[in-house]
Amino acid sequence: MTWLVWRQHRNQAYVAAAVLAAFAVLLLVTGRQMASQYQSALTSCAAGHTCGNLAGSLTLSTPVMSLLVTLTVVVPCLLGVFWGGPLVAREFETGTTQFAWMQSITRGRWLTAKAGWALLAAAVWAGAVSALVTWWSGPLNALNNQNFQPGQFDIQGIVPIGYALFAVALGIAVGTLLRRTLPALAITIGVFTFLRLVIGQDLRAHYLAPLTMTFNFLHPPALPKGSYWLVSGGLVGPGGQVVSNPAHGGPSISFGGVPVSIANVPAACRTLLFQGPHEFGSCLAARGYYGLITYQPADRYWTFQGIETGIFVALAAALIAVTAVVILRRDA
Amino acid sequence: MDPLDTAPPAIETRGLAKRYRKVTALTDCTITVPEGRISALIGPNGAGKTTLLRLLSGLARPSGGEVRVLGGMPRQEPAFLAEIGFVAQEIPLYRRLSAGDHIAAGTHLNPRWDAASVRQRLKSLDVPLGQAVGTLSGGQRAQVALSLTLAKRPRLLLLDEPVAALDPLARRQFLATLADAVAAGGLTVVLSSHLVADLERVCDHLILLAASRVQLCGDIDTVLAEHRVLVGPRKDTTAIERTHRLVQATHTARQSTLLIRGRGPIADPAWESADVGLEELVLGYLGQGAPPAIAHLTTVGEDS
Repeated sequence: MTWLVWRQHRNQAYVAAAVLAAFAVLLLVTGRQMASQYQSALTSCAAGHTCGNLAGSLTLSTPVMSLLVTLTVVVPCLLGVFWGGPLVAREFETGTTQFAWMQSITRGRWLTAKAGWALLAAAVWAGAVSALVTWWSGPLNALNNQNFQPGQFDIQGIVPIGYALFAVALGIAVGTLLRRTLPALAITIGVFTFLRLVIGQDLRAHYLAPLTMTFNFLHPPALPKGSYWLVSGGLVGPGGQVVSNPAHGGPSISFGGVPVSIANVPAACRTLLFQGPHEFGSCLAARGYYGLITYQPADRYWTFQGIETGIFVALAAALIAVTAVVILRRDA
Repeated sequence: MDPLDTAPPAIETRGLAKRYRKVTALTDCTITVPEGRISALIGPNGAGKTTLLRLLSGLARPSGGEVRVLGGMPRQEPAFLAEIGFVAQEIPLYRRLSAGDHIAAGTHLNPRWDAASVRQRLKSLDVPLGQAVGTLSGGQRAQVALSLTLAKRPRLLLLDEPVAALDPLARRQFLATLADAVAAGGLTVVLSSHLVADLERVCDHLILLAASRVQLCGDIDTVLAEHRVLVGPRKDTTAIERTHRLVQATHTARQSTLLIRGRGPIADPAWESADVGLEELVLGYLGQGAPPAIAHLTTVGEDS
């Protein structure tokens, strides 16, 4: 069966390998440049004791490369659409299930070979892209403490492998249920995007209970170290009550990079808003207000990567199980 | 007794039924096909021919009744699948793969696989082995599909309208390939078609389906011997219906033509009795009026 799977899909495999190779060359070349640029910037700022401002003054990547790397977020979805969706649906559409299922092999073996190789190929491909992106982003992660941030978290580390497995399994399952390629592709895109957004925006912040930290507006805020993930920044009043919280929405103002929601600040201070964070902060501090953030510390990064990958791998496994039941039970 | 008749039948069904939600595709289907027969599965579009073949192959599951193929239930098991060859009506093959690729795939997917014979057969028919099958003609594709199926060395071959889309020459070649394979021995064939004339040349057994039910099933010689056409002056047929089954009666102003089943003698000398041909018999069962039945039977390439 492996022979047939390879013969059917080898052209796709060649194209995928060529695209990956081109992407790798591009990232290796620009990534080396960035790394050496970052190293020399570190050396010179250390000499002048100005490394504290490095994040604000140094631009490592070009907009085009940053965009390209950010766009790798769609890789899992594309794999689901091009490799997952048609895998079974096209066989039903062209009737070739009736050819394959009348050879001397069981449908179970047929599905195992097809889905197995597709999932493996997707994991390898998405894993390779993610590994390149992770390596390429190394200097940027160090400079901007960005790899836990939504958007970066999604294209680095191991989660892209989980996403790819899920997307391909989703494509296979939907294609098996609908038996038609085009609707299967549309539904795969829709369901995948929806689940990714829901899990990324609503669920991820609660994998582990966020930590909280308060800070005074008078001093430069002593914020968590490293690439922590800021979940929310709010304002606490003199009596200790939370007066504003990003969950309530509304405008926010940035204190040392932490956006603090300012929905219910005293009217006296609100007029100082336009004079800058310092005056505004002094006004709030004088009245006993202080800042409160909830965040996920940097050392939870791999735990979160593991949890999110696990969720998507589990979903993929469930979808493959559904597919197997349908293939074994339904008529050709 | 013919030794073939003592062997267990290749196909035996009892009360077999298939329903798709509210549509009944096949109902109360009880047939027996002895081993070694080439059975013609005949019926108009939508009679249930495809459904029956799919149930026999195991591609579809019955909603009721029993089916035994080569002594067992059709099942997803390599040992069973190796014995069955099935060519679906639309002749599904991987369009971008060549015949040679299909032959190589078969080597990996079947325990018995006679690659050399397929290659030889396709070469003798001038079917290019290296060309994507999607670019071959309908006749060549049908030959590829049949040859691939024969390469499994199946004991039962199920062919769904294999010649429907072929031109007369390709049809003749296809049936010749089939006849050669059967002559080699150990093979039972069920072949569905609209085209009675083609089947008459190669088949020795008949399954007649109409409106999801089996109308006739048996060896063609036996079935034909059980039927007669009576021609006589137009008159009441109750006397005949008492001793024979009246299959079809057509009347002109003066004359009646009756297709009857039953071997008993006809007492009334007014009736002239004649043997019936296969096509006449089939039309008699399928059409209350012959012309629409002919239209059905010669329609080519439609779903059934």
